[in-house]
Amino acid sequence: MDVLIFIVGGTLAAATALIFAAMGELVAEKSGVLNLGIEGMMATGAAMAFVVLSLSGSYTLGFVAGAALGMVLSLVHAALTIIFRANQVASGLAVGILGLGLSSAIGKRYEGRTVAGLPENGIPFLSDIPVIGPMFFQQDIMVYLSILLIPATWYVLNRTKLGLTIRAIGESPEAAHALGLKVRLIRTGCVAFGGAMAGIGGAYMSTAYTPLWAEGMIAGRGWIVVALTVFGTWMVGRVAFGAYLFGSISLLELSIQAFGLNIPSQLMSALPYLVTIVMLAIISRNPTFIKLNSPASLGATLKLS
Amino acid sequence: MLPNFLSRTGLAAAATTLLAVPAVAQDPLTIGFIYPSPVADVGWAAELNNGRLAVEEHFGDQVRTLFVENVPEGPDAARIMNQMAAQGADMIMLGSFGYMNDGLTLAQRNPDMTFIHASGYEVAPNFGNFQSRNYESSYLVGMAAGDVTETDTIGIVAAYAIPEVIGMINAFTLGIQEINPDATVRVVWLNSWFDPPKAQESARALMAQEADVIYSLYQDTPSVVTVAEEEGVWVINTSSDMKEYAPNWLLASQVADWESYFVESVQATLDGTFEGSAFWGGMADGTVDVRSWADAISDETMAKIEEASAALRAGEFHPLTGPIVDQAGTERLADGEVIEDGALLGIDWLVSGVATNLPQ
Repeated sequence: MDVLIFIVGGTLAAATALIFAAMGELVAEKSGVLNLGIEGMMATGAAMAFVVLSLSGSYTLGFVAGAALGMVLSLVHAALTIIFRANQVASGLAVGILGLGLSSAIGKRYEGRTVAGLPENGIPFLSDIPVIGPMFFQQDIMVYLSILLIPATWYVLNRTKLGLTIRAIGESPEAAHALGLKVRLIRTGCVAFGGAMAGIGGAYMSTAYTPLWAEGMIAGRGWIVVALTVFGTWMVGRVAFGAYLFGSISLLELSIQAFGLNIPSQLMSALPYLVTIVMLAIISRNPTFIKLNSPASLGATLKLS
Repeated sequence: MLPNFLSRTGLAAAATTLLAVPAVAQDPLTIGFIYPSPVADVGWAAELNNGRLAVEEHFGDQVRTLFVENVPEGPDAARIMNQMAAQGADMIMLGSFGYMNDGLTLAQRNPDMTFIHASGYEVAPNFGNFQSRNYESSYLVGMAAGDVTETDTIGIVAAYAIPEVIGMINAFTLGIQEINPDATVRVVWLNSWFDPPKAQESARALMAQEADVIYSLYQDTPSVVTVAEEEGVWVINTSSDMKEYAPNWLLASQVADWESYFVESVQATLDGTFEGSAFWGGMADGTVDVRSWADAISDETMAKIEEASAALRAGEFHPLTGPIVDQAGTERLADGEVIEDGALLGIDWLVSGVATNLPQ
């Protein structure tokens, strides 16, 4: 039973950073801008949030600072790709590397330090229910915010005028421009939102999930986010499903190892990636459907008069 | 591998800027130190850096040290060590296994320079290697773990199954069995050198399966130690004392101290008597020790631990002394037989009592 609580309860927390960053990346990509710098933005957000939390003792300030710095970095990417029409792949990678270096510089004096993690206040009364309580209702506030972010992102993208504008720009920025939509502004906004969410995801890693700062602690999670967005065929529900699947399989893998089952551990370590890719590939196997959902202008250099 | 590659090149580029040292006259002995990870308050690079500081303190104006941290193994390391040589370094300390071949090539090209290399196996007249007999202290902390466990389940968070780690797990398990023959040991292999969140998840996975002592084996950050403190589970740490991170639940810390070895090597270089050799420091010469024993360990066990430490210091006892049976039930060492250093360097089996198999 403890194992089940560990996996189910742990999955929500394990997926939280991924959910934040993935929802942000999804919005940016829906507007037609691929951001490969997520890893660096998460790292910078993590370092910044950790330093601010250590100095001020305020989690709110820490998350705000992490989000702000993630946003600043993403604005560099936005400026390069939207104003200066740089290649999105190259710019994203460059900004990502810049972010990793920046995180190292910001966190230098805090390397290996720890802080008290974000308290797991949970939800009153509900957290006392046996089994279900510890699984779902004893989490920290950010876990619940990340869960709320999923339907919110879906709603904005699919049921509001703003969402329609974003999707239209992602399909054909030229047509949207001709219609008088502010393509550059909206794209910049979407990229900035993506950067802020990546910063919050990183901040969650360093102040709540593993409350410490160590250079390189994001350890590839930003790349998982990029992959989830693509394999989830740019659909909010599928991307979120992918994040939770990835989180649960990672924890299941460790539990199986800890149990002592005789399965080669290298294979087990590859399992989360394998299962997530296979599952998402299966549910997203309809090519027409992928075509419908993938933003047509994604990755293309903006050509506006 | 893409993310790793990217992050590392980016960081190494940042690290090289630290190398901007002015070219000065050859007077003081210039010693370069290369660390694989950033120097923090604790951890592997911190221990190596303490050795560097000890050298500075001991020799004063006779030496000048420079260091580059967070250097990935491979071309970056080769570039940085060549740069150090070009800037007139007389001696280089290589802090990671994978620096070995590039370092050896450089040593052969520069017979006037001396090199000391962590955890490798190559030796040349001007190229020595050093490692620690950490398994000796693993045995001692194992005894403590066997004493405090109530569930008879002890968990280990380990990076990769390399011989050094396997040797430590074996000695640790034998130490546990000395005190508590019924205990089982479970291992989670991270298959990653550096992933603090995964290390913490692994510790929680072990706790969820009743482990009430966690052995954080070569985790450079306090990731496992802090989660143990939070959950109220005993924890043992390797390579630095992490008492301040888990004031209530740290059972003991295994520490390695390179100060005297570094000072001796620098002295030999200054005297021109340096001869590359394989230095394997243990409890006898003070390289390896245990600090911050918890008060919860029973007096009876503590007396046994003292006794075993004394025997280890005197060189009268080897943790891997037969009879030892491996997981499959095969006898690996006959009664009274002591494992040879060569066999220990290539050890690829776990003792019976470890529930998890080796990744094959």
